[in-house]
Amino acid sequence: MTWLGWRLQRTETIVALGIVALLSALLVPTGINMWDAYNHGGLGACLGANPGFSCGNRIGNFRAQFQSLSDLANWFTLVPGVIGVLLAAPFVADLENGTYRLAWTQSITRGRWVFTKLGLSLLAALLAGGALTLLFDWWRGPTAHLDGRLDTGIYDSTGTVMLGYTLFALGLAIALGVLWRRSAASLVVAFIGYFATRILVDYKLREHLVSPLTATWKGAQQPAFLNDARILSLRATIHGHEVLSGGGGGFIGGTGKVGAAPGLKNAIFHAVYQPNSHYWPLQLTETALFAGVALLLIAFAAWRVLRTD
Amino acid sequence: MSAALETHGLGKRYGSQWALRDCTLEIPRGSVTALVGPNGAGKTTLLRMAVGLTRPSEGSVRVLGLDPRADAAETLPRVGFLAQEHPLYGAFTVAEMLHVGRSLNPGWDDESARARIAELGLPLKKKVRSLSGGQRAQVALTLALAKRPEVLFLDEPVASLDPLARREFMQTVAEAVAEHELTVVLSSHILADLERVCDHLVILAVGRTQLAGSIDEIVATHRLLTGPRDSAEDVARVHEVVRESHAERQTTLLVRANGHVYDARWTVHELDLEEIVLAYLGQDAARRREAVVS
Repeated sequence: MTWLGWRLQRTETIVALGIVALLSALLVPTGINMWDAYNHGGLGACLGANPGFSCGNRIGNFRAQFQSLSDLANWFTLVPGVIGVLLAAPFVADLENGTYRLAWTQSITRGRWVFTKLGLSLLAALLAGGALTLLFDWWRGPTAHLDGRLDTGIYDSTGTVMLGYTLFALGLAIALGVLWRRSAASLVVAFIGYFATRILVDYKLREHLVSPLTATWKGAQQPAFLNDARILSLRATIHGHEVLSGGGGGFIGGTGKVGAAPGLKNAIFHAVYQPNSHYWPLQLTETALFAGVALLLIAFAAWRVLRTD
Repeated sequence: MSAALETHGLGKRYGSQWALRDCTLEIPRGSVTALVGPNGAGKTTLLRMAVGLTRPSEGSVRVLGLDPRADAAETLPRVGFLAQEHPLYGAFTVAEMLHVGRSLNPGWDDESARARIAELGLPLKKKVRSLSGGQRAQVALTLALAKRPEVLFLDEPVASLDPLARREFMQTVAEAVAEHELTVVLSSHILADLERVCDHLVILAVGRTQLAGSIDEIVATHRLLTGPRDSAEDVARVHEVVRESHAERQTTLLVRANGHVYDARWTVHELDLEEIVLAYLGQDAARRREAVVS
């Protein structure tokens, strides 16, 4: 059964690994350039010595050199979705083509068929997702130091979350495929569902995964501990009257300043924020959430297929 | 020894529709049985339940004395099944399809499988999807036979094939039966495809068993009687009337006779198998019309 399972998903696995290889071909040279500029251009040393805002020129140069790459990289957040959905295709195709009836009337039980096939697709997704995670985490290193690793684009492609995203796309596509038994439609809708879920988590759910902290200070000078934090909301009051209120989503990196306006000198600022130290708790919670939902979806698919009539 | 296939009050419901209902039959080992009925009579459902693909809604099904669903691990190696669409992996080569059979079946007979493929003149490196319908059916049959099943279920195996491919396919089935002690159950809505190879017949209609038995016995007991209308009831008391039609003067009865028909008022004609089957299926059509009216 292992031979058949592998043979049936060989093409998709090779394509998935091909996508990873293609990305590596693009990212490894540029990553080497970025790390080189960061380490030997003095930027790393400057940021290390001054966690404040005093590396302006060097940051400007670095950004000028690599900004277009960084912008492009935001699209890479779709890659786990593509790979996950792709690796679900062989399982759904077997149901759509009726070839499962061939397999289920050989000498092996359908239980073994289901577990081998799902296990192999899960394994392929873990491999491809793991490779993506390592590649992007390394590549994002310099920009993470610059913009802070809680910046949405950077957070989404560093740490462990990409592995969770890949598994989630796989689970969603398999579950939809089991319900629908139509490959093309299931895979497309699963990808759309993946994208919608990611947006929802990025902009709504993530800030609640780990309880944010609050800070209050006087005057326009932002406290140093907020330099690499992610500000979820910010208010300023003067004698109890609100003079400024900002919504969530704003990130204040090492180069930013809160309320630089001179009129706010005597204002009291209230901030709700995720400190840099919440990065790993956030990453691990989100990864566990996506991976957990993926496993539930796959378990549902297995249950549903096992009791197929 | 338990029967090859045995069902008691077997039924399958999909939603509110019964695909098969109240099906009780027994197919002995070593027989080649034609399962005949119109489209929608429940043939596919019955065969799928026999190989454990489908779970019965009521009643029981036993294959070689085993429950094909609960005892799947023991049943599966002993049965073969060929689904109507002859599902095969289109992207695989013929050799890879044989590899599939080898890796999924402990009793796989590789030598005979390769010999059969060679006999058919099929190149091992050819992709399954580039084969003709008849060739695909033969590859699927080769797979089912090389598993060395004790009972082989074939669902409408030749429905999609041209006449030549039909004959070759049935030829392969007949050879396999002659070679091994194989029980075969094959369904069709066309009897002519099966008549030459089969020695047993099951007629399924309106989702129920109408007639089951050996073909010799069926042909021997069915008679067409023509005689006076007013004595039709006398006949019905002794023999089972399958179908009757009345003209002004005389009545025609198709009966399953219990022994000889002695009544001198009736003329007795012998029937061939096809006429008998048609009579049962015609009765089915009549019942359906009644069901619609009521």
